[in-house]
Amino acid sequence: MAWDKETELRLRQVIKDSGVALLNENLVQGTWGNTAVRLDEDHMLVTPTGLDYIALTPEDMPVVQISDPSIWSDGKKPTSERKIHAAIMQARSDINATIHSHPIYCSILASARIELPVMSDEMQKLVGGTCRVGAYGLPGTKKLKNGTVEAMQGRNACFMANHGVFCAGKDMDEAFEIIRIMEKSCYQYIQECTLKATGQQTYSDELLFDYFVVQKTAPKAKKK
Amino acid sequence: MNATVQTILEYAQRLVNEKVVGDSDMISIRAELNFMYITKAGVKLCDLTEDDVIKMNIFKVEKEYKYHSEIYKSREDINAICQCYPKWVMPIAKAGVTIPAVLDDMAQIVGPTCKTSADDIVSIVKTLKGRNSCLVKDKGCITSGRTLDEAYTCVLVLDKAAHCFVASSVIGENKIINGIEARLMRFIYKTKYSKKNQENLSAKEEGEIVSEDTSVKEESEV
Repeated sequence: MAWDKETELRLRQVIKDSGVALLNENLVQGTWGNTAVRLDEDHMLVTPTGLDYIALTPEDMPVVQISDPSIWSDGKKPTSERKIHAAIMQARSDINATIHSHPIYCSILASARIELPVMSDEMQKLVGGTCRVGAYGLPGTKKLKNGTVEAMQGRNACFMANHGVFCAGKDMDEAFEIIRIMEKSCYQYIQECTLKATGQQTYSDELLFDYFVVQKTAPKAKKK
Repeated sequence: MNATVQTILEYAQRLVNEKVVGDSDMISIRAELNFMYITKAGVKLCDLTEDDVIKMNIFKVEKEYKYHSEIYKSREDINAICQCYPKWVMPIAKAGVTIPAVLDDMAQIVGPTCKTSADDIVSIVKTLKGRNSCLVKDKGCITSGRTLDEAYTCVLVLDKAAHCFVASSVIGENKIINGIEARLMRFIYKTKYSKKNQENLSAKEEGEIVSEDTSVKEESEV
């Protein structure tokens, strides 16, 4: 092990807090997300699989080998998505913390598989450009892992098609800043598209509702 | 307090907290084969108290409880139902269209598609055939499960998928998960994840004490 106990204890708390923060900031919806933080070149701490973040203790976080994520120790069974976290950490030595989650506005763009343009200077600075969409693959597959690694090239975030978002930073604080700006930028993009489609000046969810209903019902009316 | 009543109160509160309810939502749990505990019609879930959860024979119910009783009668595999009015489901129910597999968690937990049924109980039972959820034209949605936890999770995932589907009308069409992959995920979810987990939850909702087996939750996470 190329890290000291003190660092490990600190990072265990970082991982524990990251899970709670995802919940508190409403960045997990429907199903759980997961996070990882690097210990050294070949090891990372990750969140365990499918467990309540509030109830978890720092000691529950397993240590996973980056070069072979099937090897893990010292905690509860790690997240099934650890292969993707490991692949990003392996491909990018500048990355020390990763977050994968399914917040709603990111999920919307992921389900439409749309590359998000740069929405602000802040997004440019944090994400490093547009946010691409990785190729669709079933959960746990090589196709999904490789698609994510490819879409992350030169960026700190990417969408996972029909699934969610993946964010990576030099530390957990930065990874959080990235997922926050992603969710904010996606919301902004949807608002702008709604205003453009409807020709209105002010966004409201009702505007989107009404546009949807007209879109879905109008062609049928024409046929009659 | 009866454990089933307590479970209903707990999940009613969770639905309220998740903001996936409207004004006339009702939830129920089957008790024995021919009875159900159900929230009183006309009582908002946010105002629900112990006295608003009533036990009734599914063969002797008033009109407003028929949606639930008829589903229990026709489907022995269903033990809990949420009849809810989540915000993003509403425009789809109004348009009367089908939600395709827009997200992985929808394909797993709700199913490869979610159809809209006409607003009568015969159509609803028919639309639910081989499924656990549907939308109801101009109303909201009905989700069901082997446990209330399953039906509840279904409401959350359905509302999120609905939001994706609605928003895609302005940002570009949804790219749908192909049918075979969607069915495969659903199959894996149903067999691998949920069987054991649901058995534990079911025992819990009926008031038994069981040890939590968390290792089977893995599939629900992705």
